[in-house]
Amino acid sequence: MDMKTITVGYGDVTKVQIGPGLPLAFLGGPCAIESRDHAFKMAEAIAEITQRVGVPWIYKSCYDKDCRSSPDSFHGLGMDEGLTILSDVRKEFGVPVVSDFSDPSWGPATGEVCDLVQIPAYLCRQTSILRAAALTGRPVHIKKGQFMSPWNMKNSVRKLESFGCHDIMLADRGTFLGYNMLVNDMTSFPIMARTGYPVCFDATHSIQMPTSMGDISGGQREFIPYLVRAAVACGINALFMETHDDPDNALSDANTVLDIKYLENVLRQAKIMHQARLDILAELGEDKVHPNG
Amino acid sequence: MQDAPRNLFVKDVALPLDHCPVLAPNAFFKTALEAMGRSRLGIVCVVDADGILRGIVTDGDIRRQLLKMQKPFSAFFGDDVIEHAIPHPTTVGPDVALLDAVNLMEEKQVWDLPVVDDGGKLVGLLHLHPIVKLLVSQQDG
Repeated sequence: MDMKTITVGYGDVTKVQIGPGLPLAFLGGPCAIESRDHAFKMAEAIAEITQRVGVPWIYKSCYDKDCRSSPDSFHGLGMDEGLTILSDVRKEFGVPVVSDFSDPSWGPATGEVCDLVQIPAYLCRQTSILRAAALTGRPVHIKKGQFMSPWNMKNSVRKLESFGCHDIMLADRGTFLGYNMLVNDMTSFPIMARTGYPVCFDATHSIQMPTSMGDISGGQREFIPYLVRAAVACGINALFMETHDDPDNALSDANTVLDIKYLENVLRQAKIMHQARLDILAELGEDKVHPNG
Repeated sequence: MQDAPRNLFVKDVALPLDHCPVLAPNAFFKTALEAMGRSRLGIVCVVDADGILRGIVTDGDIRRQLLKMQKPFSAFFGDDVIEHAIPHPTTVGPDVALLDAVNLMEEKQVWDLPVVDDGGKLVGLLHLHPIVKLLVSQQDG
């Protein structure tokens, strides 16, 4: 099936096209909106890096993290304040923004501000939230649940389609390997791409060790570059990485966010790898190994 | 078979469309297995939104796939049926003489032939069993 190209961005922001043969898009920012000052500081730093590297960028940050391990963990600034900050960031930097939302009632407000709305992995098969996402009229970024097979994501895609959404991107953020551990099955990308929509790799959540530290999640950040190179080589259309200027003190996902000091290097690797893949396929032809030999 | 009446045509014996197991190309493969079980026919026809025949899946195709496919059943069941359909199957027109159709079945070693009109639209299914039943009843008569 031919893959669709989706366009992220409305109004005056720099639109980002995600699809086959296009430059690798980057979705990045701090996991949670921690404050107005921090959101702007991060946006400014990421804007400089993405301009230097030359990657299309969508600013990612969430206003309400509803899946934290502990009731004491930072939940976010809340919808009103968070969306106001996101709206101001997109105006100031001309960048499309994405946030997830965890309750169907948050859908309309999220879609009013965000250029791309995101379905959290844990909720990827919840009909009510898929319906709410579709009704925003924005493109939808849906993460494969850690408990889902890549081929079963077709059901979620068909739900979105049944609610009128035909601008979809699917992400892999790891799959449970027993308890407190994730692995990445790189075949998930070609499998999910068979839905006909672009695919994304969430590198920073993939190295997460869910709730491995009692009441918070751990993570093995050192593996981010390895997984990024592998995923890009497998044909992703977008790369998702949460980044922070002070990971140790990040208010959300402190053990998985990529220190911004590494961001430029990883993005450059990803860009080179993406182009190399396109060059290889252009020279040697598309992959056509038949499953039956 | 050489004694079969010359005045019989495919349309006289073919199962009408509403008796054929028919699926859209993006139906789950598992649905094809269920449809074949319900109809007690070893075939499903895959047609597009315009009713044009895009392929068929038969018992034999599934057996062969099961021996070759290494993917998990859960993935296999969730595939679009068109991925496992035989494209461009042998078909027959409604106005073809039944004798010629039976000879075609013999030649191709199949006992089902989708019946399509000049535009490639599925209009029925020629199944060997009703043909045999008809000929036997005619001989008995």
